[in-house]
Amino acid sequence: MADTASIIDSLHPLEIKVLAALGRQLAGPSPSSLQEEQLAKAAELEASQLSMAVEWLLTKSLIRVETEKVVPIVSLTKVGELYFEKYSPAERIISALRQAAQADKRLTIQDIQAREGIEPADMSGAIGSLKKEGSIRIAPGGGVEATGTPSRLAESLRAILQQLRGSPRELQAFAEPMRHVIQQHAVKRGNPHEPFRIDDRVERWYALTPDGEQVARLIAQQEVGQEVSQLTPELLKDGAWRGKRFRKYTISLRPPRVAAGKRHPYREFLDMVKRKLVSLGFQEMRGPLVESEFWNMDALYMPQFHPARAIHDVYFVKEPTHARAIAEPYLSNVAAAHRNGAGTGSTGWGYEYDLHRARRLVLRSQGTAVSARTLASGPQVPGKYFSIARCFRYDQVDATHATDFFQVEGIMLGPDITFRTLLGLLDLFAREVAQARDLRFTPAYFPFTEPSVELHVRHPRLGWMELGGAGLFRPEVTQPLGVDVPVIAWGLGLDRMAMVALGIQDIRDLFTADLELVRTTRGRF
Amino acid sequence: MPTISINRKDFEQLLGQPTTTEELDVLLALVKGEVKDRHAETGELRVELQDGNRPDLWSCEGIARQLRIKLKGGASAYRFFKPSTHPKHRVDVAPGMERVRPFIAACTAVGYPVTEEGLVQLIQTLEKLAELFGRKRRTVSIGLYRLPQIVFPVTYTLAKPEEARFTPLGFEEPLSLAEILARHPKGMEYGAILAGHERLPLLRDKDGRILSLPPIINSREVGEVQVGDRELFVEVTGTDLRMVILTLNILAVNLADRGATIGAVEVQYPYATDLGEILHTPLDFGKPRSIPIKTIEAALGQTLGAKAIRLALTGYGYEARASRDKVSVKLPPYRNDVMHDADVVEDVAISSGYSQFAPVMPSAFTVGGLSRLEELSDRIRELMVGYGYQEMISNIMASRQELVSRMRLTGTEWDRIVEVDNPVSQTFSCLRQWIIPCLLRVEAASARAFYPHRIFEVGEVEIPDPAHDTGSRTVLSLGALLAHASASFSEIQSCLDLLFFYLECPYTLEPINHPSFLEGRAGRVVSEGRSLGLIGELHPEVLELWQVGMPSVVFELEVDRLAEWK
Repeated sequence: MADTASIIDSLHPLEIKVLAALGRQLAGPSPSSLQEEQLAKAAELEASQLSMAVEWLLTKSLIRVETEKVVPIVSLTKVGELYFEKYSPAERIISALRQAAQADKRLTIQDIQAREGIEPADMSGAIGSLKKEGSIRIAPGGGVEATGTPSRLAESLRAILQQLRGSPRELQAFAEPMRHVIQQHAVKRGNPHEPFRIDDRVERWYALTPDGEQVARLIAQQEVGQEVSQLTPELLKDGAWRGKRFRKYTISLRPPRVAAGKRHPYREFLDMVKRKLVSLGFQEMRGPLVESEFWNMDALYMPQFHPARAIHDVYFVKEPTHARAIAEPYLSNVAAAHRNGAGTGSTGWGYEYDLHRARRLVLRSQGTAVSARTLASGPQVPGKYFSIARCFRYDQVDATHATDFFQVEGIMLGPDITFRTLLGLLDLFAREVAQARDLRFTPAYFPFTEPSVELHVRHPRLGWMELGGAGLFRPEVTQPLGVDVPVIAWGLGLDRMAMVALGIQDIRDLFTADLELVRTTRGRF
Repeated sequence: MPTISINRKDFEQLLGQPTTTEELDVLLALVKGEVKDRHAETGELRVELQDGNRPDLWSCEGIARQLRIKLKGGASAYRFFKPSTHPKHRVDVAPGMERVRPFIAACTAVGYPVTEEGLVQLIQTLEKLAELFGRKRRTVSIGLYRLPQIVFPVTYTLAKPEEARFTPLGFEEPLSLAEILARHPKGMEYGAILAGHERLPLLRDKDGRILSLPPIINSREVGEVQVGDRELFVEVTGTDLRMVILTLNILAVNLADRGATIGAVEVQYPYATDLGEILHTPLDFGKPRSIPIKTIEAALGQTLGAKAIRLALTGYGYEARASRDKVSVKLPPYRNDVMHDADVVEDVAISSGYSQFAPVMPSAFTVGGLSRLEELSDRIRELMVGYGYQEMISNIMASRQELVSRMRLTGTEWDRIVEVDNPVSQTFSCLRQWIIPCLLRVEAASARAFYPHRIFEVGEVEIPDPAHDTGSRTVLSLGALLAHASASFSEIQSCLDLLFFYLECPYTLEPINHPSFLEGRAGRVVSEGRSLGLIGELHPEVLELWQVGMPSVVFELEVDRLAEWK
């Protein structure tokens, strides 16, 4: 046997209670074994707790089964419960006969059976018993009469039913005549329609094994039974914790889950991007979700006939359809730039600019709209701005298209800005935002920049990927909005990076309504 | 912008040399192109071309041409742009065309037997040019015919829809113009372009044979080009003269690159055009442009010198002459995309290769920072997380059902929202005017996630506001929801209360009757006489409509207004 102390440490509180209870028996004058029910009482345990603890202790050979007895137990069957509520057939026959006698009527067996709805088999049994007891007699002509002699059978049944009503009892608890009645009316093979059932129950008496006795003694000595599971303010207050034994926990078990307050993983990613941009000297800018076509596209020198402005590319607002006005002088300046270049050194698009169309309201389709507004609002020079703007595109929603999504965009203004500064800025983004060392630039096309560049970086997990697009705003964009220095416009496509960081494959999961998914998604930034 | 399909072998023949896959990927940067798909077996490449202003690149011939120029260091001239003899063929434009579809340009292409791959490419080019550059044929459309079937001069004229009849491509029997518009697939697709005109454009030859109904459909007899045809007639009609001619020029050089001899066609207008009344097309209408060397160097941030700039531009197809401080440039006749010096600057950079330019780190000092609103939003988010709330992000687009009817707001003062005119689906057809429905969407989807649920979102909503220029204003809003078996008003109010404590903002709750909430368990959050939001216990019917089986309490606050207060 392992040493007693370590056995005690490994015991469950339920086991300790059982051992302590049996231990107390050792000291007392009464027998050292206890029957299950007595043991449960002594150990202050529920039946289910006891059976668990007993099972464990038997396995550990700390207790043994001393005696095992088979005890017949009587319980009510469904029929019995029915007898209790509606009376037994014998009672009902007598009561029916009394009522008939008072009304000066005669009843045959068939009459009683029909009136009381008694099963034929029950009927004949009850009539037979009553006749035997002399409680009834059959008159010539088939009429049945109550003799006035009380039926002992009916009375016994009533008494037994009453005693068994709450819970089953041992057969031995009944006096001999009752036992006989019970045995007579118990369910037997071939006769299921009876009020009682007699079952054999195995009753066990448990006692400590020699090892168990040792452990139990130690438990008693150390007052292990007084083990404290929870340190309480009271214990601290009066110092009663001293000398107390604290239950040892099984610390290898998984703890219960808690619902933590937590940032959204995608938002954490965007917060990281936000921090990076601020640390690089960018000011945040914001803009409205509902934009005029003017700010969303015209101001960006996208001609009104541009194919990406059609009904299948942007969402149009139903009501009101148009903004009340577009701020001047920007409207006139942009209109002129579209028509003929308006002194920007450009030929312009050379078409009749539609002032009404300019006011048409759309859902912002690109973050560059926010940049356009910033350009028109007297930005700082030199200056750097960014926005993380929700944008909307007319697209069937699927694994790679969301109905609305975040665009990370911005501008940089300064008199010394050149194409090479543009490359420098993208280089900075590649290293700081994407932690990429390998990058390359390729020519690109955006309606509002010239020259335009695409930035590709080698992502540690995705390989070569497009990280962003950028360019120098065309003078047709900046000059009508009152800006005379070169301006870099840039945008970063971070959703793929975010999806890799969050371990998701479907872009819709960035905006999921599944709380469990959000609770369990971890970002690796 | 378009994605086109090219055949590797066909492409290499046009390029004049084979290329490896890696070489091709690098070279495609010259045309802002990227291979999206490769079929090793068929040799088919799907190439995406970004530049919306370079329709000359939207074909196998065009891509090959641009790369060939780079590989050879210059372009070979197309002599047909300077015809020495008078054109053999003529197109007469009838009076009245200026009101319907004013311009036409045409040429002939002879001596190139159309190959299978050549025909595939030709049809693809026609489609891309007419659809994308020609704005779905409205501005430009193209017709291709078998030259021997035509007796010149051809007339570009108008006809009444019932009077003229011909057998269109894809049909067996002759239809009137009206029937074509009503029954022919192309008529139904493009007929709107001609809507409102009593008489429709028609091309007819000298014998009265109908060539086509521009911009809808060709005649089957004359206009069904097949593999093996050696003599073609090409015409382009449209509403913008320069775009019409440019399109013809692109088709002419494409056919010339495949070996055809291009013959000019004389177009006689009964009215004045920007370029005259009698035009010989193809026509090079481009003008030289003089750009200071300094302008280019300043934009690129690098000293290149006149010679390097000239070589870069001729290596990209320009005609370029350089003096000490200026460069005179002219685009090839198949391009018309320079609006500003900046466009030439980019071509210098592309032709030189972006890798030739060393990045320069931005050096100007600027102060970074967040907007007041974002700073406040971050503080609020941090506090909410501290109270044990899980942050959510939802789509801003939602349905009217979610935002209004499931919230029991139909027909109330709260049922106005911003809706979209052209939704893809009803699920995403409106902008949310508050966050709570988005949080209920989470609840409806998360009954199996263990409770309690404490969730919040700080996000933008769009609130209808007639006083605003656009009829609505974008507001940053905080929505919070608490759901568990005994969720109560006071429990969520504790959170609201603590929030206001830390934001140092005094507030009171004023009882409000709001259909989304249980009567007597809802309040308006008011601070110094201004309403900041709502708090309340959601009405059981709201929960039922959302199929949410847990009591839920919520609050919503306008962060914008909190920011104003601060």
